[in-house]
Amino acid sequence: MWGTLRTLIYFILAVLCGSLVGSIIQSQFNLAAISALGAEVPLPVWLATTLEDIAGFAPLYAGMMAVSLLLGLLAAALFLRWLTPAQRTAWQVPVYALAGALGIFVAFQAANAAAPMPTLIAATRTGFGTLAMMLSGALGGWVFARLHALDQ
Amino acid sequence: MHNALRTVARRAALIPVLCLAPALVPVLSLMSAHADEGDASASATTEYHTSVIAEGLTHPWSLAFLPDGRMLVTERVGRLRLIDPQDGVRDAPVSGVPAVFASGQAGLKDVVLAPDFADTGELYLTYSCGTARANGLCLARARWQDDALQDVQTLFSARPTKRGDAHYGGRIAFLPDDTLVLTLGDGFDYREAAQDMESHLGKTVRLNRDGSIPADNPFVGHDKALPEIYTLGHRNVQGIAFDDRSQRLYAHEHGPRGGDELNLLEPGKNYGWPLVTHGKDYTGARITPYTTLPGFEPPLVDWTPSIAPAGMTQYRGDLFPQWDGNLLVAALAGKRVHRVVLSEDGAQDVESLFAEINARFRDVRTGPDGAVYLLTDSPDGRLLRITPDKP
Repeated sequence: MWGTLRTLIYFILAVLCGSLVGSIIQSQFNLAAISALGAEVPLPVWLATTLEDIAGFAPLYAGMMAVSLLLGLLAAALFLRWLTPAQRTAWQVPVYALAGALGIFVAFQAANAAAPMPTLIAATRTGFGTLAMMLSGALGGWVFARLHALDQ
Repeated sequence: MHNALRTVARRAALIPVLCLAPALVPVLSLMSAHADEGDASASATTEYHTSVIAEGLTHPWSLAFLPDGRMLVTERVGRLRLIDPQDGVRDAPVSGVPAVFASGQAGLKDVVLAPDFADTGELYLTYSCGTARANGLCLARARWQDDALQDVQTLFSARPTKRGDAHYGGRIAFLPDDTLVLTLGDGFDYREAAQDMESHLGKTVRLNRDGSIPADNPFVGHDKALPEIYTLGHRNVQGIAFDDRSQRLYAHEHGPRGGDELNLLEPGKNYGWPLVTHGKDYTGARITPYTTLPGFEPPLVDWTPSIAPAGMTQYRGDLFPQWDGNLLVAALAGKRVHRVVLSEDGAQDVESLFAEINARFRDVRTGPDGAVYLLTDSPDGRLLRITPDKP
């Protein structure tokens, strides 16, 4: 019982970390695009917009992150079962981080396929932006794995 | 253990749909439609009667009235249909329509008769052209003869081409100097291009009727600016109307989540997208921190939350004299037609009409008989005629 609850708490923390960082990353891409068009964006405006996105964008992104991490971490757990205990200990953190990154990438593709617009999250319109946002998924997987590793 | 994991995985597979749904609701709501039969109804100021002229139209987009009383309706899938008010829709689509890239929002769009159609038989079509990987908006001119399109010429193709099937604009208005203004969208993924003077995306362009560029266009002779450009900084302009009496050109455009706009178009002006908008992205993210900035034209009307304006007419007719000179704005998501009163100082959205029809309205037109004609957007779209309940 405690083990399940602990895993759930670790998962929630992973989702929160991943979605918070993802929200901050996407804000930087949008603001950089506005700045590149010639509009002056002073630091206070930059920070306020980033904070506003945490309220406006992060909740939706947390939903995507939760789904992608759930599926990604399950897949990672299945993969790790094939390894020896020693390999598992060594590979657990990078495998979970990779699973988080790939999971959110799949979520982007699924959202774009389902939605009428070509790209749902503007920051993922470029390869660089997509990679940057995948870091947030990787962070989610990493947080989950590190918390588990600390237990062990 | 494996079975348990498999069960969890199976159930988890349903979660993406559930979790992504809230993000897609604003967008998917633009795709749903349900239309009921209309009858005698009333707005706050006007009683009116709704009759169905035609049904079974596949996502009808635009409507033009032929001098003989028949009508032409474009269907987004790439068909031009001929409609007789008495006999309904002719089974065979009109021949001669150019090859259309039909996908998502892409397809056959506007049909507009030339001002001298009675003499020349000229009409103009807008449509998405190209492929999924490289497409854009095209403008073609054709001659109406023997109930078919003849001598079809492509006059304009927006460049650069883009990927995806969203945001084409596609409306045409003729100006009194025998030029036309064509509206273009930003292609959705290319919103920053609306500020790029070397791109047609997110602009309106002004052309002579043969597709050539008028010498008095605002950016003719400017370095690194396409000479066709008339106005810039637009997202997806799907309604345009020229007021003969005030000599003003009005256009409305879709904002993202909020920020739909009615604008007064003036040559060379910048309407701000994506630097200024009252809307947010569909994800809830800020597109820009700014709703106003110096040098950008503010909208006459801002619709936040969005109504998804998709067509527009300036009412000039005898059947609804109380609406004379008003703009009627067809709304998809709003499922209303908004009546906008114009004044010297601006414009005011005063009333929502036809809510009881409960349909996404793609276009609204003033008929030569003074009736208001509506196109409903659905796979089973209808052409409706609105007349006063008690003439």
